[in-house]
Amino acid sequence: MKNYVRNWTLSTLMLVIILCLAACGKKEEPKSQENKAGFVPKLDTKTECSITVVGHYNNFEALEAEFNRFSKYYPNVKMTYTFMDGYRKGGSRILSTALAGGEAPDIFFTFPWIGNWPDGADILAASENLADPSLGIDLSCIRENLLKKDANGQVLSVPVYTTTYGMLVNEDIFAKEKLTVPTTYAELLSVCETLKKAGYNDPILACSKDSGDLLYPLFFPYFCGQIQGNETALKELNEMKPEAGKYMRDALTLVADFMGHGYLDLKSCGALKDNYDAVILRFFEGDVPMMLASGNTVSGTKKRESRSEAFTARPFKYSFHPVPSTDKGGYFINAISIGFGVNKHSKNLEMANEFMRFLVCADELNQMANTKRMVSPCADMSLDSVYAPFQKLDDQRFINISELGVKDSAASQVSKAGWQVCLGKMTVDEAVAAFGSMK
Amino acid sequence: MKKTLILIGNILIIALLLVLIMFHVSREQKRNFSTKTAAFENMTVAMENVATNYLLGEEQVCQSWANHINSNRMTAEEAISFVRSSISSSDVMAHILFEGEQGLTGLSTAAQLHNAGNYTVSYQNVSNFADRLSKLVKKNNTVNVTRAYTNPINAIQSMAFYSPVTLKNARTGEAQSAVLLRIIPVSAFEKKWVFPTEEYKNAEVSLINAAGDYIIKGLSFKNSNFYEFYQSYNSAKPAALEKLKNSLMGPSGIVEINNSSEERCIVAHTRVNSTDDWTIVTMITMKELNKAEMSWTLVSIVGAGLLLLLVFNLIIMMNLNRQLKAAAEAADRANHAKTDFLSTMSHDIRTPMNAIIGLTTIAGKNAEDSAAVRDNLKKINLASNHLLTLINDILDISKVESGKLNLTPVTFSIVECADNLVNMSNPMVKEKNIDFNFRVSRFEHEYLYADQLRLNQIYINLLSNAIKYTEPGGRVNVEMREEPGETEKTVRLTYIVADTGMGMTPEFMAKMYQPFSRQTDSRVNTIQGTGLGLAITKQMIDLMHGTIDCQSEVGKGTTFTIVLELPIADKLIDEMMLPSMRVLLADDDNVLLETGKEELIAIGVTVDTAQSGAEAVQAVSDRKDYRVVILDWKMPDMDGVEAARQIRAKLGDDVPILMISAYDWSDIEEEAKAVGVNGFISKPLFRSKLYNKLNELLGHEKAQSEQDDEAADIAGMRILIAEDNDVNWEIISTLLEMHDVETERAENGQLAVERMEKAHQGEFDLIFMDIQMPVMNGLEAAKAIRGLSDPWASKIPIIAMTADAFSENVAECMAVGMNGHIAKPVDMKRVLKEIKRIKDEIKK
Repeated sequence: MKNYVRNWTLSTLMLVIILCLAACGKKEEPKSQENKAGFVPKLDTKTECSITVVGHYNNFEALEAEFNRFSKYYPNVKMTYTFMDGYRKGGSRILSTALAGGEAPDIFFTFPWIGNWPDGADILAASENLADPSLGIDLSCIRENLLKKDANGQVLSVPVYTTTYGMLVNEDIFAKEKLTVPTTYAELLSVCETLKKAGYNDPILACSKDSGDLLYPLFFPYFCGQIQGNETALKELNEMKPEAGKYMRDALTLVADFMGHGYLDLKSCGALKDNYDAVILRFFEGDVPMMLASGNTVSGTKKRESRSEAFTARPFKYSFHPVPSTDKGGYFINAISIGFGVNKHSKNLEMANEFMRFLVCADELNQMANTKRMVSPCADMSLDSVYAPFQKLDDQRFINISELGVKDSAASQVSKAGWQVCLGKMTVDEAVAAFGSMK
Repeated sequence: MKKTLILIGNILIIALLLVLIMFHVSREQKRNFSTKTAAFENMTVAMENVATNYLLGEEQVCQSWANHINSNRMTAEEAISFVRSSISSSDVMAHILFEGEQGLTGLSTAAQLHNAGNYTVSYQNVSNFADRLSKLVKKNNTVNVTRAYTNPINAIQSMAFYSPVTLKNARTGEAQSAVLLRIIPVSAFEKKWVFPTEEYKNAEVSLINAAGDYIIKGLSFKNSNFYEFYQSYNSAKPAALEKLKNSLMGPSGIVEINNSSEERCIVAHTRVNSTDDWTIVTMITMKELNKAEMSWTLVSIVGAGLLLLLVFNLIIMMNLNRQLKAAAEAADRANHAKTDFLSTMSHDIRTPMNAIIGLTTIAGKNAEDSAAVRDNLKKINLASNHLLTLINDILDISKVESGKLNLTPVTFSIVECADNLVNMSNPMVKEKNIDFNFRVSRFEHEYLYADQLRLNQIYINLLSNAIKYTEPGGRVNVEMREEPGETEKTVRLTYIVADTGMGMTPEFMAKMYQPFSRQTDSRVNTIQGTGLGLAITKQMIDLMHGTIDCQSEVGKGTTFTIVLELPIADKLIDEMMLPSMRVLLADDDNVLLETGKEELIAIGVTVDTAQSGAEAVQAVSDRKDYRVVILDWKMPDMDGVEAARQIRAKLGDDVPILMISAYDWSDIEEEAKAVGVNGFISKPLFRSKLYNKLNELLGHEKAQSEQDDEAADIAGMRILIAEDNDVNWEIISTLLEMHDVETERAENGQLAVERMEKAHQGEFDLIFMDIQMPVMNGLEAAKAIRGLSDPWASKIPIIAMTADAFSENVAECMAVGMNGHIAKPVDMKRVLKEIKRIKDEIKK
């Protein structure tokens, strides 16, 4: 027995030494197949090529993370994301120029309104039909009402991110002031009043640089809620009939009413230079109870937590809520933020499609959405915890913009009208009358 | 416990060695890494020169265009036309921009892609470009180059070198400020930014401005801004970011960051001196930079090798330990055996010595009583013989155990061997009145080739044991038979000794071949024995590649069977064939009767047999033509003597009568001869023996007594005896004088040599040489005598007579030229035999 114990002790000691030595060896690379169950490369995994994705995001870490994951299968494929100046401005024709140029991108950002651009037809003509069964892209993971098919039944773009509108809430302030986050318009006014009295000069803030900022998260969902199911209103609005301005009246009245309470200081809003960095960093200062924003803005919060000295010094809990524009609460407006299209003239079309086949699945899209704090286009939206309040809304208050059917031109008129009323440059009546001719 | 300590010590040493190796490797790697990092930084710094040269070169081209435009007061159209004509590369484009309400707008050398013929260009959508450009134009000491931006004309990521130009307004003719841009695709620029050495082939380079915006962006550099990239993958706090910024804006150096794959990377940076705020940043993963020359694999291999060595050594050590332990146990056993041996020997030697000393004392006191003295001397002789046997056995067992027992095969007669067995056993058989039967089967080959001495020893040991351990009146049967061997040149000789003695217990049989093994039995204790006989027998049989088998039962007896495969000697038996005659053979033993008849027929004799004396008498009554009658002595109804008397009476004196006996016939010799027996023949009845005896009886050949011949041969000889011991000298000289041999003594070897130098030819017939002597030992003396100049003296036979009785002693004697060896104590028969052998050799 003694010998047995001794031998085992010595053997164990030797084993430990061997294992220690083995531990000194290089770290084993994770097996590629572990990265994503179900994805099986269709092409030669030794293929060497470059794939470029272009878009208007300055940074796209979430996509670059997907590049890294894709490279586990295709290690010799160099994938690059490039920011393109003037990309989002339809009049620049930069995307169609790029697609026709010598360094044409393989994959590019798309938007629902891209067809309305002057060069929209050229862009769509250059886009691969991603619904082509031969590509093997499983589009079933995308919420059906987000997939837009053209007259030929082609899907020229796959939504990657969707967005919504709401307000960032500093929960610590609400807790400190023993307030609950408002769920009705009356509560919103009451909370603002309480906060004002408590010394918060700006109980609610928003960027005032663009018509799509300021009170857009308040009134636009409200407007959508008003016309939802009203086919006549939709028809007239989309036809840009001047008399359709009447359908904006309630929403503009809401704007005028809210502005009339003086809880939103335009001067403070004007100090916010943009609706992204400036809004986020201002919110992270910690003294703003509510900040109107879009999901695109929320997408920048995670990364900027560490960049804000104030937030790093005094972190607080925050969340993104629907703006309570009615007595029954707010709306969850869901709109496509960006999609991906594939250049069908790409030199590496097969690999570009292969990347799309890799990307378009619930696992990858949800992960990419979570990384960027956007709303996934997948049926299972897999919302980040910051979006949790939206999950409490009734299904009836979920409005899909694509499904609603309001054209961008009409929506733009509503946005501009609200903007003018908000700034006090127009009365509600003037704005209603100006529908269709608003510049 | 000690072994464990050694093992742990070894493992700790190995571990220590490995730790030292790892420490050394780690230190070397760190040193190498530092060197490589510094080299990487230097390479980056060197790239600054490349960048500056390139940038200055490109700017110079732009500036030369601008100078030409300025000096010629060109309109915008003229200027762009001039530049268009000056561009030689399709990659390069130029823009002339004016700052106005719509931002920067102007003309391009290339037309819009979607609007052929339209050369206008707008930078309205190129964010932060106009402000920056206007600021930079004012600087004089730096290269005027933009960040990477999207060229509005072809949407290609490009960078532009710019120079202010003054143009003439085509309408008003007034001077108009503008900016000339020489635009190069970033991809074209990147091609010039490849690291010049293969070592850094996976390194990537970017060019950033003070804000961290990429002017040129390497593939691994993510985001649109280096600091954004840093923050995205390093979870950096503002302070860390600030530190990084300060570092990058300072002198060249190294920082460590994570890339987008969370790999640790080295980033080398250096300011581009020719620009206002540009910095070259190069990035390489630590894994790439730290490709170890001394890899951990090597350490692992060394470690595994050391462990293997340890395991190997452990196995060897354990094996050696096992062997050492076995050797120690064997030595311990040997030590015990030696002690036991000495104890046993002490006892076994003291016993006969006690008899010798005691009886000598008694004889001395009764010197007057000659009968008593003779009786005592007889007993002393017996004790002496036993002592000698004991010593011989000890020598044998010693030789066997030391592996020095060598066989000395000679051609010998198996008949003589059997005769010897009978002769030697006769006294005891007679004394104990044992029914002794020695039977042989038909032997085709009398002469065999083997170590006769050892074979005799084997047979005698077993036979003497059988007789010793058989109670008086018991029976001992010996059977010897020849069978065909495995080859034509060998025979299988089977020797079976069966007795009706006390038998052996299975326990004793299991260890009976071990030295000093004697059965514990009150009856055994009364029988003299050394307990070495069977051990020696077994060893010798093994040496001869034979087998020994024993069947025994307590109280019933023992049967030993020995089977040996022996070569047939080349010596041929003379043709043994007698003239045709009829012989009567009478014996009550049917087996002997049968084998005897076969042997007689084989030598050409017609045989009638009779199973008793009376039958034999009747046979001679019936026939009168028997030429010889052979009668067994001991037959139940009528013994051989009585039968001989009656046969002689019937046949008269002409027919020889031969008496067979397994015993010594001296007691009846006189009586037998008186009744007409003409000769005696001992059992077993070998063919040659019968042939010789019948020939002798019929007057064909006469045999002589060997002893008489020997005695007659040595009488008158002169022998020089080299012996230092007075008693030994006295014994040998007295014994030889009894055979009329003259002797002369030399007290040591030196005197013997001197005596031989002086001796005249024929003065001595041979020399008996003791070995251990003072002044000069026997070996040296023999060697000296062999070296004498006198041929006779140098060739005189020398026989060693020494107590050095081992075979190697014999070999030593032979090696120095001696002719024979006689071991002390001196057996006179052996002495006579040796002298005769020497004489025979001289005669030949």
